[in-house]
Amino acid sequence: TKMNFKRDKKEEESGEASNPFGNLEKTTVLQEARAFNDTLINPRKCTVILSKILYLLNQGEVFGTTEATETFFAITKLFQSKDPILRRMVYLGIKELSHIAEDVIIVTSSLTKDMTGKEDLYRGAAIRALCTITDVSMLQALERYLKQAIVDKLPHVSSAALVRAYHLTSGSGELVKRWVSEVQEALNNDNVMVQYHALGVLYHIRKADRLAVTKLVTRLTKSHMKSPFAVSLLIRIAAKLVDEEEKPLDSPFFDFLESCLRHKSELVIFEAAHAIINLKNVTPREINPAVSVLQLFCSSPKPALRFAAVRTLNKVAISHPTSVTNCNVDLENLITDSNRSIATLAITTLLKTGAESSIDR
Amino acid sequence: KIFNKMDSSLLEPTLYIVKGMVIMDNDGNRILAKYFDNNIFPSVKEQKAFEKNLFAKTHRANSEVIMLDGLTCVYKSNVDLFFYVMGSCNDNELILMTVLHCLYDSTSQILRKNVEKRVLMENLDVVMLAVDEICDGGIILEADPNAICQRVALRADDIPIGEQ
Repeated sequence: TKMNFKRDKKEEESGEASNPFGNLEKTTVLQEARAFNDTLINPRKCTVILSKILYLLNQGEVFGTTEATETFFAITKLFQSKDPILRRMVYLGIKELSHIAEDVIIVTSSLTKDMTGKEDLYRGAAIRALCTITDVSMLQALERYLKQAIVDKLPHVSSAALVRAYHLTSGSGELVKRWVSEVQEALNNDNVMVQYHALGVLYHIRKADRLAVTKLVTRLTKSHMKSPFAVSLLIRIAAKLVDEEEKPLDSPFFDFLESCLRHKSELVIFEAAHAIINLKNVTPREINPAVSVLQLFCSSPKPALRFAAVRTLNKVAISHPTSVTNCNVDLENLITDSNRSIATLAITTLLKTGAESSIDR
Repeated sequence: KIFNKMDSSLLEPTLYIVKGMVIMDNDGNRILAKYFDNNIFPSVKEQKAFEKNLFAKTHRANSEVIMLDGLTCVYKSNVDLFFYVMGSCNDNELILMTVLHCLYDSTSQILRKNVEKRVLMENLDVVMLAVDEICDGGIILEADPNAICQRVALRADDIPIGEQ
């Protein structure tokens, strides 16, 4: 049966009555967490307690090593429950406490079981939790599973493994280099996020090898990737190559950047315009198409788009003030923009293009 | 030929895009916050000071984007909730907007369109799971709210936390 809370006005205003997380005490919550040790686990009750623990951690409550370790071990008892939400909250608890608690590798086998098990909802999240508690010395044992996960049929499993591989490369680039063929395969995945993550990892592995990067970009610029995120990443890689060339503007990669100005996604168009404008050796002639699309963005109903455009034009105004003069009218309209940041950027841009008179108006 | 990173303003081809995600109430109190770059705010104290400042500058102006402390912050609010996504100051704002929309729309689906603090607190566990599915250590993991909601296994029996 549902209870009707009769709240007086003051409580209603403060919102405390409806907030079970209002005045949490760490000691009380940790006492409640003893329920994790019950022989019969009540999933709903334990999920609430676990939420409270995570909430406290998120509020910046300090857990000492002993406290964190005890809590961590209590949480591991919840692996007995088959409740999917509770299991997923357990992963969050593991991740949050893994850098404070001791002996966290105790959950390695439970997580390995979940990442290779039949319950699809667990697998991606289990991979992410497992790689959080794993150090390089233990990776060897998990390598086989992670390689398999990268080429898994389920996008979220594949993405989880790729993203974690990416995090791991900061520590052990060497290991991930051995996974190149799996990553290559993931790059051909139909899922837009998997594509994006695979490209990120592959570039990370290859970036010191200019020839390999050139080959990769050559292949991908012809392949019409679907993911706007992936295309935006490809633009960044291509722009870097163009910037390092002797005759940058004869490069087919420059043509690719220009072609992206006509992409259907605004996110990609802006990325391309931003890249072209920031190339070392561009002349006004090459900049103009990029300036034109930014000019269009200046009158967009979306504040973020106007902001992005005027921020970038502000930059062009430093290196090529004359290229921005065409946009003066559009910039003048932004002086009275309801967004203060946009208005300020518009004014400083106009000052750089020598259009003080228009500000006076 | 040595390529000097310092004098290039090109964006680094990296998957690390998101610097932080925050949900606040209408008093500017943190409900959930995730920061992915320890170099920006090394401690909770600095994070909360930043959040206070961010809230003061955004809670009355619903203008979607602001630059603060060298970060680009995109935001959206509804009733008594404020959603923020942060990235570095020269990064692509439209990518950050995509992440913000995903955060907001996933939350909205989880709360069955009642995007307000009371309902969010009753479903905080699932919202925590959703946040975890959107971004992993600063990398955008998934930007499609429908995919997020499938992955967090929305519960069939929704008994609010306060009523057990």
